[in-house]
Amino acid sequence: MNRLTPYAFVAPFFILFAVFGLFPLLFSLWLSFHQWEPSEGLAALRWVGLENYAMGLTDPWFIQGLGNTVWLALAAGLPQHLVALPMAFFIHRRVHQGRDLLVGAYFVPYITSSVAIALIFMTLYSKDYGLINVALAELTRLPLVGAWLPLDAAHLPDWLGDSAWTKPAVAFVVFWRYLGWNLVLYLTAMQTLDDEIFQAARLDGAPPWRQFWSIALPQLRPMIFFAVTLTLIGSLQLFEEPFILVDTEKGVARSVMTAAIFMYQTAFNDGDFGTASALSWALFALIAALAWLNARLFGKGGGHA
Amino acid sequence: MAPARFFSMPVSRRTLLAAPLALSLPAAAQPAVAPLTVASFPDLDRAAKAAQAAWDRAHPEAPLRLVSRNYADHHNAMSAVLATGSGQPDVMALDLRFIGKFASGGGLEDLLGAPYDAGPLLGALPRFAVTQGRSPQGALIAMPADIGPGTLLYRLDLLERAGLREADLTGSWPGYIEAGRQLQRATGAALLTDAAELRDILLRVGLADGEGIYFGRGGEVLVGNERFQRAFELGLAVRRAGLDLKAPSWGNEWGAAFRQGRVATQMMGCWLAGHLKNWLAPAQAGLWRSAPLPGGLVASYGGSFYAIPKHAPNKAAAWAFIRQMVFDRATQLQGLRVLDAFPALLAAHDDPVMDEPIAYLGGQRARQLWRDIAHRVPATPVHKHDALATAIVRSAFEDVVSQGRPIPEALAEARALVIRRTRR
Amino acid sequence: MRSRPPVATWAVLALGALLVLAPIWFTFVFATHQRNSIFNVPPPLGFGDAAGLNFELLLAALPFWRNLAISLYVATLTTVLNLVLCSAAGYAFALLQFRGRDKLFTVVLGTMMVPSFLNMIPSFMVMQWLGWLDQPRALYVPAGCGALGVFLMRQAALQAVPRELLAAARMDGAGEWRTFWSVVLPLLRPALGTLALITFIASWNNFMAPLVVMRSVENYTLPLALRAMQSPNNTEWGALMLGSALALLPLLIVYLFSARKLVAGIAAGAVK
Repeated sequence: MNRLTPYAFVAPFFILFAVFGLFPLLFSLWLSFHQWEPSEGLAALRWVGLENYAMGLTDPWFIQGLGNTVWLALAAGLPQHLVALPMAFFIHRRVHQGRDLLVGAYFVPYITSSVAIALIFMTLYSKDYGLINVALAELTRLPLVGAWLPLDAAHLPDWLGDSAWTKPAVAFVVFWRYLGWNLVLYLTAMQTLDDEIFQAARLDGAPPWRQFWSIALPQLRPMIFFAVTLTLIGSLQLFEEPFILVDTEKGVARSVMTAAIFMYQTAFNDGDFGTASALSWALFALIAALAWLNARLFGKGGGHA
Repeated sequence: MAPARFFSMPVSRRTLLAAPLALSLPAAAQPAVAPLTVASFPDLDRAAKAAQAAWDRAHPEAPLRLVSRNYADHHNAMSAVLATGSGQPDVMALDLRFIGKFASGGGLEDLLGAPYDAGPLLGALPRFAVTQGRSPQGALIAMPADIGPGTLLYRLDLLERAGLREADLTGSWPGYIEAGRQLQRATGAALLTDAAELRDILLRVGLADGEGIYFGRGGEVLVGNERFQRAFELGLAVRRAGLDLKAPSWGNEWGAAFRQGRVATQMMGCWLAGHLKNWLAPAQAGLWRSAPLPGGLVASYGGSFYAIPKHAPNKAAAWAFIRQMVFDRATQLQGLRVLDAFPALLAAHDDPVMDEPIAYLGGQRARQLWRDIAHRVPATPVHKHDALATAIVRSAFEDVVSQGRPIPEALAEARALVIRRTRR
Repeated sequence: MRSRPPVATWAVLALGALLVLAPIWFTFVFATHQRNSIFNVPPPLGFGDAAGLNFELLLAALPFWRNLAISLYVATLTTVLNLVLCSAAGYAFALLQFRGRDKLFTVVLGTMMVPSFLNMIPSFMVMQWLGWLDQPRALYVPAGCGALGVFLMRQAALQAVPRELLAAARMDGAGEWRTFWSVVLPLLRPALGTLALITFIASWNNFMAPLVVMRSVENYTLPLALRAMQSPNNTEWGALMLGSALALLPLLIVYLFSARKLVAGIAAGAVK
């Protein structure tokens, strides 16, 4: 084997990165040590050293944004995987007719544009007339269910207007959007698993959940690692769903302001690109640290490595 | 590669329209055609589109090329082109909200200098609008194209049912709130849609001349002073009394509130009357009226401006375009017709259209009122950190009304945050 | 041996699918209503009759077909490039031995972790310097080999390609590229289907890159053009929903197509 061939295989990524990715990265790193308002032009860069880092990281709103981000990451991220994995297993083993349609249905949220998602969910979450509250109101009227639900038909949640409810509302939309994505990933991985082991296990009398837990899961480790890493990276950078659902011009927006939204506003609203760049590098450090941790837990293994 | 070339060929209808115009010039005098690029956003771009025919006729050597982006995208893209000094349009449309930021940057042409010499022309525009287009150094970096004289739109029928008159609403701010209580008792309708809007407009009460809303003449931070205290207190009182619907503007609930007749008044730019007529509450034609803001306050909501970036390729044509959009009476009145934009040009205010009764407002000749308001709006300088301060103060108010935070505490924290973020 | 699926679980899944689809249903429903009806409370549940009207409004607001064509062109080229380049890189990182392999892969992962919206201005500078502004190549070339794709293909290669097969191919005297193309790639078919899908979708829905690079509505991709229709207080929502619904259709087609490939991959016994 030619010793240089592997390098030829990975070269395209690094070449493209060097041309298109490296400059923006270095520029933002450089920027993080300066104060800059873009409309003043490039000549207006002013060196401030570590001040952006010091002031940005101690900003009360940044800290709140980080807290919101972690909350949303857990509330939306955990269910995505906890639901998608067993679902993929079930569909792989038991659903054959109409599988494409079923999985396709769950996948559609992932491909829907954010404009449509914003409009539809703002309509659904409307306090007095959104279908979700209408359905909940009906549920509270049902004799048995109504008594058990901690909700009062006259005071249904204002999902996108009350800071107590905005986080769960946004978390649900994120979950809704990415469940199908994880489902497809896990289904793809399931399809590479060896059917015979499952046959053997069934003949042995192992119940389905056992097959899932002891046979499927360990073999899926590379894909779980991949999907969880993506969720980790994606949720810590969460921007789009809270941004489009809760108008940032409204006071309640701070309850779902994520770290990324705070950075965006620091840059485009406050005109402080330097601090925004510093914070994005701080966020990068956090993501990298957590991804490393994730790699330690899930990274090893896989069918054949 | 063939496909790439296909996609870089302009085939828009606009270009097709301009082509016969270019062809119709005498063969001998064929000036080079350099399109005039105007960057704008909806809804303002409709004004440029409406003016296009006249412009292309008068300036066949510089056919109009309109580049529209969504409001936020447009201003971000303009930031980018100003940052790099390249790829700039000839004319840049800017909303009032972003003027402060771009004004202090130094990337826009000073229209007071040569070859524009806009100084003598400024008397044709309201003083406050011109002030809004100035940089802290005194340069005039943008020309106002439209303004939003602030008005109190109210439901006359609900007012009458409560036994009140317009003067009860507009006499004073405490009177406005008291009228709201009576309105609610008698009709069940809320006084306004969002207490935060009251808080916002009250910040303009008692402004000294030359004082900005959040920052003083020397740049000192004004957040937290008595003006803010009073605005917060009245806003909180309204929320506590249940006089608002907690519906932020332009949301679903807000629109529904109008349609269902659950709100009695709305303070906004006069252009809201057009929205009410067109889609918010068309069935309520004849029930609404327009009044001045309570307490004798005179203010303007929003406003659109045109500027010329320093590295624009075609500055002469850009200035000619701006002069047409801002100083040409016919174009200004066209803006009024096409997008309900109240003209900035004072001369346009003499047009008979201003005396027309407005059917939706029950035949009220409201434009006369709006014209009068426009002439009295005080000049309030804009500051490059206005957007930042607005966000912080808005958030502090939300803490006060929904989490019961004491006002002095919330304001003190807001003040500290503004100082912190604007320290440089 | 395939037993009948338990009805209860199937029912739950189907119900879940309906709930998941409800918002999409509304996209299509709203596309056939006028703005006033959409903002009624409660909103319309069934189809209206304004589809034709909305379509006219849409065509008047944007060069819709042109934007659609540009989106298709850019997304297709991006996908093809990624399929080839990412699988090659992923294979190398997974199964080939070379100095610095793991460090280089860490760099690949690292590039995914930097928030990218601050890239707007420096990206603009790069495209300007290259002279690529307003051209589709400014969109598909930088996206030609995504870190996500490399990561995905590496995991897929680890999972689906047995070492023994590689060893056998090498002993047979096959060159590296030959081994990759004829032996490894077929085994990666399900993952390639997934990669094609996610790359196409990401390219299609990306509006930040075209926002920076494209300077006129004629050259916008479709999502960006649809955004340009949005005014702070005067959007034609019905037309916008129709545009969004139409923008969704190619993605659905791509999904169904790649789903077929996934199934075909298994049926052909390509995976053991």
